[in-house]
Amino acid sequence: MLEVKDLRVRVEDKEILKGISLSVGKGEVHAIMGPNGSGKSTLAGVLAGRDGYEITGGSATFKGEDLLDKDPEIRAREGIFLAFQYPVEIPGVSNMYFLRTALNAIRTHRGQEELDAVEFIALVKDRMKKLKMDDAMLKRAVNEGFSGGEKKRNEIFQMAVLEPQLAILDETDSGLDIDALKLVSEGVNSMRSPDRSIIVVTHYQRLLDYIVPDKVHVLAHGQIVKSGDKGLALELEKKGYGWVDDLASGLATA
Amino acid sequence: MAVQQQNTAAFVESFATLKRSEPTWLADRRRLAIERFSLLGIPTTHDEEYKYTSLKSISGQTWTPSAAGSVETPDVDYAGEEAARIVFVDGKFFSAAGDTLLGARLTSGLANVEGHLTRYADFESHALTALNTAFFADGALVELPEKAIVEKPIHIVWVSTGEAGIVSHPRTLILAGRNSQASVIESFVSLADGAAWTNPVTEIIAEENARIEHFQVQQQGSEAIHTGVVQGLTERSGYISTISLSFGARLARNDVRVKLNGEGAECALDGLYVVNGKQHVDHHTVIDHASPNCNSHQLYKGVLDGESRGVFNGKILVRRDAQKTDAIQNNKNLLLSPKAEIDTKPQLEIDANDVRCTHGATIGQLDAEALFYLQARGIGAAQARHLLTYAFAADLLERVKVQPLRDHFEHVLMRTLSEDPNAEETH
Ligand SMILES: Nc1ncnc2c1ncn2[C@@H]1O[C@H](COP(=O)(O)OP(=O)(O)OP(=O)(O)O)[C@@H](O)[C@H]1O
Ligand SMILES: [Mg+2]
Repeated sequence: MLEVKDLRVRVEDKEILKGISLSVGKGEVHAIMGPNGSGKSTLAGVLAGRDGYEITGGSATFKGEDLLDKDPEIRAREGIFLAFQYPVEIPGVSNMYFLRTALNAIRTHRGQEELDAVEFIALVKDRMKKLKMDDAMLKRAVNEGFSGGEKKRNEIFQMAVLEPQLAILDETDSGLDIDALKLVSEGVNSMRSPDRSIIVVTHYQRLLDYIVPDKVHVLAHGQIVKSGDKGLALELEKKGYGWVDDLASGLATA
Repeated sequence: MAVQQQNTAAFVESFATLKRSEPTWLADRRRLAIERFSLLGIPTTHDEEYKYTSLKSISGQTWTPSAAGSVETPDVDYAGEEAARIVFVDGKFFSAAGDTLLGARLTSGLANVEGHLTRYADFESHALTALNTAFFADGALVELPEKAIVEKPIHIVWVSTGEAGIVSHPRTLILAGRNSQASVIESFVSLADGAAWTNPVTEIIAEENARIEHFQVQQQGSEAIHTGVVQGLTERSGYISTISLSFGARLARNDVRVKLNGEGAECALDGLYVVNGKQHVDHHTVIDHASPNCNSHQLYKGVLDGESRGVFNGKILVRRDAQKTDAIQNNKNLLLSPKAEIDTKPQLEIDANDVRCTHGATIGQLDAEALFYLQARGIGAAQARHLLTYAFAADLLERVKVQPLRDHFEHVLMRTLSEDPNAEETH
């Protein structure tokens, strides 16, 4: 599904990603963990097509096609979804209008009919119920005045409506209380399928109790310093991120 | 300079040849007005009030009124169900529909008008108002008797044939008697894209406790010149709101002046300008707080693309005994292109000591993170920009409480934004 090879990225003359390789197969769930500033959001942003990065080396393909030349909206229409670490408030644009425009752009790209208002509402209500969200939010402006937790839940709700093939969840667990975390995890788990791959970016092992990953990668200083199965997350939890720094300096001097 | 004098002289000569059968009081007012105009001339950029807005395209040529001719029924967006509609072409009466008691043609027989018409919009110091006063042909009179409540909007449509070199001077008088209430829309449209000049003056008088909601929608042709004045006066507890939607014309200058002339009076001046290409749009507002306990709010929003230029100048005068004045002024601009420009300036002259006056101005661009957010959900770049721009602008329309009117304005705005030639489609 996703093949990243030796990806190197600079932001304003500073090298942030220093040769990342990552292979996510169809139906797999990968977790990326790492300390603050290690480059997790940068990786997620580069894959989703955020502006402002200079790609100095390596490649990324999605479903066999080069990903990095494509506009962000094309990536989204082809099946990539980024749940933002910091979802954006958009005053004056209702959630309903926003999501329907997005869904129909994606459907049109895939050669499907646009959904009319009635079909759309039915779909949306179903997804909201699963995430125990209040219908009233549909009329509100996108993320405007939402609490931190509501914003994160809204990201997952959007994912549930847009049904991507590769979802990248950037710290969707931070700022959630335990009940919200469970709901969000259930939402994510209900979307696991043999056709859909998921990358969860997180600081905390806690999330991985609920969303059990197939693979765990530890990112530090712009490099993947260790990969393993879900046991790695537990090991990391025990040893702390200091251990990661040791691993990273080991790599650097190697 | 010589050209300008020629231009002024041409108006004065043309005035001398006019033959009109009118009551003496009006003829006298017109004579005073043309005299003032001949002294003032068309303003230049040396005039502080026109520092950023050159009227050379007016003063550089001579203008003629349109010859009466037949015109097909103009194609105008109407404002949903209307109580009355009156249509003028190049300043001349064309047709009326609905309750014509409200949308009556101005005739010399209207007894009540003498004390009002030309008494509010100041032609002593404003050359263009003087010119309108000297030359206006027909006019629209909206007269609300005491306690009259008109639920549906009254629509005045000013059509310009859009022929180059033609000038028209639309004139509107809105007299709202005590405790009366109405919404009045003035639409300005063009049938063709020539450099025609429209120079309207609207006077609005809200007597005690009357409420007038006034709207102007200017969608004139791409070469048109539009110089408009709205002059309002409120008496005790009166209320005037005016919303100006300025989308068309090559050069648009809108002067909005309201005098709050009785305790507890209130006014709300709002505006939305959406311009592109080489368009120039200028709003000058003056709110004269002449009595205590009056409120005024102003929100002007601008969307500027291409090489367009915007000007906003908001003057608030608070007279010495206008204590407890509450005045708020805001001007927010969205620049969609690096070549678009805006000059915005508040001007406060406060002679009372117990007042609250606040003002603010912002100039910004589309939020890059919001654009990325929309794109990351599959929405194309052009549509994402359109969506954010629409959201910025439509916010002002939330102040329009009459639903069919609001739908109408949203539709007009949507169309204006989607005609944006700079918005390249990405499919
Ligand atoms: N636009 C930018 N300009 C300058 N530096 C940037 C920019 N974006 C990211 N960086 C830097 O790149 C590094 C990696 O940032 P990134 O946001 O990818 O980290 P992260 O692993 O997601 O951290 P966190 O856990 O705090 O979310 C940081 O040092 C950050 O300061
Ligand atoms: Mg991050």
